[in-house]
Amino acid sequence: MSFWRSTFARCGLVLAVFLAGLGTCWADPRTSNLWWMPENAVQGGVYIDQLIYFILFLTGGVFVITQIVYIFFIVKYRARKGVPATYTHGNNRLEIIWTAIPTAIFIGLWGYSNHLWWDVLHSTPPANSLQVGVAAYQFGFSFQYPGADGKLGKAEASFVSNDNMFGNDPSDPDAKDNFSSSVLEIPVNRPVHIRLDSKDVIHGFYIPQFRIYQDIVPGRMIDWVWFTPTKIGKFQLACSQLCGSGHYNMKADIEVVSEADFEKWYQEKAKAVQPQPGAKLTSVTETKDQ
Amino acid sequence: MSQTIAHSGPEAHAASAHHHELSFFHKYIWSEDHKTIAIQYLFASLFFLCIGGLLAMGVRYQLAFSGSPIPLIGTLLPKWLVTDAGAIQPQGYNGLVTMHATVMVFLVVMPLLVAVFGNFLIPLKIGAPDMAFPFFNALSFWLFFASGIILLSSFFVPTGFPAAGWTSYAPLSANGAYNGSQAGQSLWCVGIFVNGLASIAGAVNYITTIINMRAPGMKMFRLPLPVWALFITAILLLLAVPVLSAAAAMLFFDLNFGTSFFEANRYGQPLMWQHLFWFFGHPEVYILILPAMGLVSEMLAVFSRKPIFGYKAMVYAMAAIGVLGFIVWGHHMFVSGMNLMLSSAFSFSTMLIAVPSAIKTFNWLGTVWGGSIRFTTAMCFALAFVSMFVIGGLSGIYMASTPVDLFIHHTYFIVAQIHYVLFGGSLFGIFGAIYFWYPKMFGHMMNEFWGKVHFVLSFMFFNLTFFPMHNLGLNGMPRRIADPNLYDFLKSSQPLNIFVSLSAFGLGLSTIIFFVNFIYSMFKGPKAPRNPWNSTTLEWTLPSPPGHGNFPVTPTVYNGPYEYSVPGMDQDFLPQNQPAPETARVTVH
Repeated sequence: MSFWRSTFARCGLVLAVFLAGLGTCWADPRTSNLWWMPENAVQGGVYIDQLIYFILFLTGGVFVITQIVYIFFIVKYRARKGVPATYTHGNNRLEIIWTAIPTAIFIGLWGYSNHLWWDVLHSTPPANSLQVGVAAYQFGFSFQYPGADGKLGKAEASFVSNDNMFGNDPSDPDAKDNFSSSVLEIPVNRPVHIRLDSKDVIHGFYIPQFRIYQDIVPGRMIDWVWFTPTKIGKFQLACSQLCGSGHYNMKADIEVVSEADFEKWYQEKAKAVQPQPGAKLTSVTETKDQ
Repeated sequence: MSQTIAHSGPEAHAASAHHHELSFFHKYIWSEDHKTIAIQYLFASLFFLCIGGLLAMGVRYQLAFSGSPIPLIGTLLPKWLVTDAGAIQPQGYNGLVTMHATVMVFLVVMPLLVAVFGNFLIPLKIGAPDMAFPFFNALSFWLFFASGIILLSSFFVPTGFPAAGWTSYAPLSANGAYNGSQAGQSLWCVGIFVNGLASIAGAVNYITTIINMRAPGMKMFRLPLPVWALFITAILLLLAVPVLSAAAAMLFFDLNFGTSFFEANRYGQPLMWQHLFWFFGHPEVYILILPAMGLVSEMLAVFSRKPIFGYKAMVYAMAAIGVLGFIVWGHHMFVSGMNLMLSSAFSFSTMLIAVPSAIKTFNWLGTVWGGSIRFTTAMCFALAFVSMFVIGGLSGIYMASTPVDLFIHHTYFIVAQIHYVLFGGSLFGIFGAIYFWYPKMFGHMMNEFWGKVHFVLSFMFFNLTFFPMHNLGLNGMPRRIADPNLYDFLKSSQPLNIFVSLSAFGLGLSTIIFFVNFIYSMFKGPKAPRNPWNSTTLEWTLPSPPGHGNFPVTPTVYNGPYEYSVPGMDQDFLPQNQPAPETARVTVH
């Protein structure tokens, strides 16, 4: 075919541009955060990042090797006068090799991922965890803290309503002194155990720096998410599950502060709350419009 | 109608060659000839491709230039979509995203692969006069067309497009008060239901035809790989689509008749929708890629002038994908709030399903190895398919690992991945296949030079558009948010969003070259010979285009589908319907 030469030149050029682009990605890591992950800010995230890098090098290696072989074949075995194609239907030994090796790699990857999933990310939250209730609604978040007694109290999805966004059990005295906030204020280096519920549709609890995503499902209390922030600073919680016309702007501020600052903030908030019958949440209104 | 019902056996074929002239209506509108139906599907789905593409341009415009009015047409658009100044509104954006995906999945890729090439190729490749149920076949097309009209008609209702995403997660989708477009969402349910009927009719047809109507000598292991792929796809369709249809009906009842299958506030189960949807949705992913794998395998063999490497391994790998495809749906739901133990289990089956894809990739490499490669446009697309599919397959491994999914779930990383599989994979396969089978469909050749221009531009802009989306995802950009500028952590990556959008516009424009070539060649393209690519399968033994009833005499099949470069032969291909000459040293794998 007379076209192959020009085709090759073109394909080669495209590939070169593409690889140069990839190279630029590596040359410009993190400094501007144009290309890469935001810096991790929780304990468990370290393991997730390690796993991402491991998979990156594994898949990157496989990609580069297969593409080099592939492009080499394409160039080497282009149609040439007088050189016939090799007549072969395959090779069973090769089939076995390239079935067995990927199977072993994938099962190994599953084993490690699964270990991380259970033993690190979803292990039982430590006893000293700060309990925080997270309520999601169209279109915002609200957070509930245990109050002076340090206990959030029982909650059930069936109790969730406009007046009781966090689904607190009305008969549980532990919930009576709970207070709420429109900002997720948390201390650094202390485990935070969150309890998620939604009033209307499915929302998402997503903080890229915390390497956490969890859907918030109406009709369910989700209580297995916990994390330990390691960096003081301001972050943003984003709803990342399409939830309606206001989804694009459904977010909340997160402030990770020192233990001392947190205590101060917490005591002030806790003092302001008068225990009320039926655990009705007076401070919900402050979060309505954000 | 009775004269077009398929019979097998040579007498029937002889009879079919002497049909009386069909009326215009029976020839072009309600045709029961599988080739005409395939072409009807082709025109319709290419039309929908333009619509889906325009919707994507709208999405990319908004992500790069949110708040600026759309040039030229902005103020002409309906008020649910744009502000008075002509800029896209958030709710309108949700509608664009929803309909772009719905159109591309249900009205473009699925019909292009399954309906166009399934209808056109199955009878021709197995030596049959038509499909087993020609009436069903015609019905299938018109149901499909109706479903497209129903889905798109939501553009004209006051509340606009459905806006709950193509996945339509309940309870957002189940309540007009939540999603803001009760009418649009209801039309979505009806459209998907009708579309499902079309798929089921097609699937029954394909399975019956392939099992019952193969020409003498066409053993199952002599079927060309596109036929195998379509056969397995049809089984997947038959088992998966009814689940979606049922779910869509339930959703319609929730929306309009006050039932509460999915709404938690009325004791329904929101996660049940996700289980039903993804029980369909994951086999669907393979429905959208398996036929492309089959088509590409054939093009690689033809233009490498070699038998496909590991034919049986290819078939077993596709069958394995078909079986495993039904037990991996939960990997869409690792973080949905379902039991964490289920996430573990689905992660395991997901890792396993990567194996057959790896096997196929290695066999494609094996096919190219030792070949004598001809770089036609079709081959360029087929070669690109393999590379792009490798990227999409490898980036899928990130999501299969549950802890990593915890970070990148529902970000642009997944958007990048799905487009590498569905655009770089399926759509590149489709483009290649159109360039390849166009001569047989229309009797004219497409222009190779402009074909290659189309290829190079698409390949380039495709990668420039979708590769940076991986980076956007790693930086935490969620899917389906109308304005990334509103998030502090996304401000730094906004230049990348603009770059992606500009590349996407380039990708959209490059497709125009294809359409011009497609239409121009139909009238002015050089006349196509019977077998322009020196191919072995049965459709190339017929005139281009083949007449009504296909084979004047039922062919007998003597060989496997890909006997290229057989030693001891003068020509480098051995058609399936010719016995091997004495000198040929054919080996059977």
